[in-house]
Amino acid sequence: MNSVHVEELLAAHARGELEGAERARVEGHLDGCAACRETLAAFRGLIEELGAAGPPAPPIHWGAYRAELREKLERRTAPRSTAWTAVWRPAPALVAVGLLAGLVYVGLPGGGRGSPTGDRIPFENLILASRLDMIAKLDVVQQLDVVEDFDVIDHLDRLSTGEG
Amino acid sequence: MESTDEVLCRSVADREPGAFDLLVERYQERAYRIAWSILRDREEAKDCSQEAFLRLHESAGSFAGQSKFSTWFYRIVVNCCLDHQRRRRGWRRLLGWRDTHDDPDEGDPVERAPAPFVDPVESVETDRRMTQLWSAVEQLSPQQRAAVLLQCKEGLATKEIAVVLSLSEATVRVHLHRALATLRKRVGDKA
Repeated sequence: MNSVHVEELLAAHARGELEGAERARVEGHLDGCAACRETLAAFRGLIEELGAAGPPAPPIHWGAYRAELREKLERRTAPRSTAWTAVWRPAPALVAVGLLAGLVYVGLPGGGRGSPTGDRIPFENLILASRLDMIAKLDVVQQLDVVEDFDVIDHLDRLSTGEG
Repeated sequence: MESTDEVLCRSVADREPGAFDLLVERYQERAYRIAWSILRDREEAKDCSQEAFLRLHESAGSFAGQSKFSTWFYRIVVNCCLDHQRRRRGWRRLLGWRDTHDDPDEGDPVERAPAPFVDPVESVETDRRMTQLWSAVEQLSPQQRAAVLLQCKEGLATKEIAVVLSLSEATVRVHLHRALATLRKRVGDKA
């Protein structure tokens, strides 16, 4: 018996792919090696089983598949570099940077949430403060015709002092 | 007379209308089946096989005709799948996800089989063995799995598989040997 096993050639031998000296070497070894003969038989069985059937790939609608492929092909082969697209090409990157900056700002201590510090008062609060008089006189404001009574709104502060 | 694949491929390179559609119709099922056998995900297999056709469209002119068209095209399909897997692994690693394929002992392989083998004609015992066998195939490395599938399902010779997988014939033999030895160890010999 040839003492050098030929296991790595057995799969090819099982499919009848070996020729010449290589084939002769394998056959010579097989004559005297029961272990390799057993392996060859096992490999043949496995190759046969694997070739006979297998888990089917999930079904697919081939018409839709080809339509989608055609769409992808058209997108890929369409002319791309117009002046307009060149201008807008960096847009997604700019949006991403803006979002990242926003997230970093919100994540910082005192940034975006919590009470404002120092002179920094959120813009919304300024607007709200400027309308406090309207909220105090809500019953009057609700009865006004907006178009006609801009004047009254402008002079709401005088209502409380009896002027106007 | 029906055009050969090689003639159609040259027609695609010359942008002759209809040639690409014909090649797609001829190869769509095989491309999808190979992609699915490697990726085991319907959507990914669909996308990768379509990507392979797009690459075919782009590079049809580079097909020199030295190998069969099928061998050349299968290589594109396999490359698309392996590229996709590398990208997916990269993202998974970056995001700290664990790839279940990294650990072959993770979970019950029969439960993880995406599509159990069902053949009403065969006995229950044969069904069970086939389910185990294909579950074991799923746990092979992508290259081993591709080599096994290309040999056993698509009928490619070792030489052709070497071209498809961009490996030497000797390496393909090693892959096939290890794949079969692993499968034998996991499912045993047929009774």
